[in-house]
Amino acid sequence: LRRLLIAAAVTLALLSAEGCRSKTTAPGAAKTSDRILNREIQVFYESPRLSLVPERRKVPLPENDAAALAGAIRELLKGPRTPAVGRLLPPDAVLRAAYLLPDGNAIIDLGGPTLTAGWNTGSHNEMMAAYSIVQTASANFPEIRRVRILVNGQVAPTLGGHLRLDRALEPAPELVAVSK
Amino acid sequence: MKRLIPFFSLLILAAASIVWAQGTARAKVRTAAGEKPVTMVQHAGQTLFPADEVLAAVGGTLARDPEGFKATLNNVEVAFATDSRYAIIGDELFEMPESPSVIDGRVFVPWQFFQGFFRAAIGMDVTWDVASSTLDVKPLPRQMVSAQASVVDLQGLTKIVIQLSAKTDYNIAREPGAYLVHLRSGLRSSVPEVAVENPLVSKIEFHDALIRIVLKNDEVTASSYRLEDPFRIILDLRHGSPTQPGVLAPSLRLPPVDAPGIRTIVIDPGHGGKEVGAIGASGLMEKDATLAISRKLVDILGRRLGTRVVLTRTGDELLGLEERTAIANQYKADLFVSIHVNAAIVRGAHGTETYFLSLDASDELARKVAERENASSPAASNAPASSDLKLILWDLAQQDYLKESSRLAELIQTEMNVLSGVQSRGVKQAPFKVLVGATMPAALVEVGFISNPDEEAKLQTDAFQSNVANALASAIEKYKNEYEVRIGAAAPPVATPAAAATTTSARSGV
Repeated sequence: LRRLLIAAAVTLALLSAEGCRSKTTAPGAAKTSDRILNREIQVFYESPRLSLVPERRKVPLPENDAAALAGAIRELLKGPRTPAVGRLLPPDAVLRAAYLLPDGNAIIDLGGPTLTAGWNTGSHNEMMAAYSIVQTASANFPEIRRVRILVNGQVAPTLGGHLRLDRALEPAPELVAVSK
Repeated sequence: MKRLIPFFSLLILAAASIVWAQGTARAKVRTAAGEKPVTMVQHAGQTLFPADEVLAAVGGTLARDPEGFKATLNNVEVAFATDSRYAIIGDELFEMPESPSVIDGRVFVPWQFFQGFFRAAIGMDVTWDVASSTLDVKPLPRQMVSAQASVVDLQGLTKIVIQLSAKTDYNIAREPGAYLVHLRSGLRSSVPEVAVENPLVSKIEFHDALIRIVLKNDEVTASSYRLEDPFRIILDLRHGSPTQPGVLAPSLRLPPVDAPGIRTIVIDPGHGGKEVGAIGASGLMEKDATLAISRKLVDILGRRLGTRVVLTRTGDELLGLEERTAIANQYKADLFVSIHVNAAIVRGAHGTETYFLSLDASDELARKVAERENASSPAASNAPASSDLKLILWDLAQQDYLKESSRLAELIQTEMNVLSGVQSRGVKQAPFKVLVGATMPAALVEVGFISNPDEEAKLQTDAFQSNVANALASAIEKYKNEYEVRIGAAAPPVATPAAAATTTSARSGV
């Protein structure tokens, strides 16, 4: 009888667990979060006039913004398609992870040999590189109000010896070219 | 009723005296020299001792000062007050379980106060043995460190860098003909002394827990600070009469300069060591260009202004961004100017940019947190909150100086504009790490673009470096004169030159 009781309890537990799972994976919800769409995004590079300018691209990205953020930043890291604008981040920079938090903060975790070893660059380039990430994130996902940049999962003092990264960066519209 | 007030007051005083008398007990302080009796009192679950009695038992003294109390032992001073659980020695805080109390006109401290103080002052540990009511003062187990000293002569300044294999407490004292660096740890050295070829120093001797810097004559003044990773003690020696002969030289801080005005200027050559900064197409490194310009600037300022001018680095040294402002803060500098060379992916980018610190919404939030923490009662605060507060206050250090920093940046930019052939890129604000913790007006100047081949070529020439240094010196001189007139430390000039009009805007001018 004892064995029977234990078996019954285990069966009940499994059934209730299955029931919970089926509640969280409603067919519609699963498709919404995982669906890949051709989304138009803006990725920001530097113009010859030293402003951030958007390059528009249609790329397949998840419909869910939290999942799409990483895709947008990866597009930025691929570099510009227009020869007239310049890539700001080191060519070997990689995205390790990207998170969109409910409070409007985004976390962008970068890596790659140059950023890991210490990027030897000037303050202008460093600042524009950091804000190209902030601008790409905030322009495509309006819920993002601040961007925290990490290096190899850690809080880095700076990317290249100037701009503080111990705080989240807010969009800096004054660095962006005014569209005519 | 009024006639009864003195009676009740006397009654309360008498009752307090009885409680006080009942609360006191005898204890003893045990040192290598023997035992001495002291008073102790139980207060709020803590054992407190009269600071003066225990200090006297080990040869120390206690004095009141306007902000609280100052205890001195072995030429080391500790400051504390009755409204704080923290005592401070130089820049180091240590915590007590309870704030000191004034009872019957005497200041009582927890026994942990002596533990923190004696460790720093005389390298002794203090333990409290309840059973025998004894404060035991014993030597700390000794750490051994090795030391390496290097001496650099730079335009009248002799910089001595003592690099130690591990962090240790230290004091610096003056004796006729020498500066003494007393280490808390024991010292291992392969050589007993090193001869030095220098105008001010003849040799450096290594003894047990002591480094003696032997001077060529007594007309030398010194200031010192320390750097971390690796741990280094730096002494800057100059010609001049010591201000306090025979008295301990400050281990971390310089004596305050009382006269108002711009008395100390810190110039920070950007980057250094393995952090080379931006690199030009022909191989010029930012760290070398900034050092060359900074050295020239220090030389000009020293001659032109007669103020104390300090370089954060004098050679190719790796220095953290926070260390740079820490040096300026330790020197109680009145101005901080960080010199950099810019780089952009756009090859044609050229010109000068001058920055001062920008704050954002999170700084405003931090300021509110700091105000709230400051306003909270000591009883409500706790150690983690205090350390958070310390970090917030560090973050906000520059906030009070933004207006002055903006003016300094404007003057620098104006002078750089005058420098022919260099296009202005304007005064800007940015959250630059090196400006964050400065407790004085601070600016960062990007003197040109190393990524532009023409500007890189110019940056390598002695003439251009001198022109830049002269322009920066003129800006600093103008700021000094203007500031000192504004605060009433100097008379206004008879004929006021027309002020150059420049516009400041947040991250503008791109």
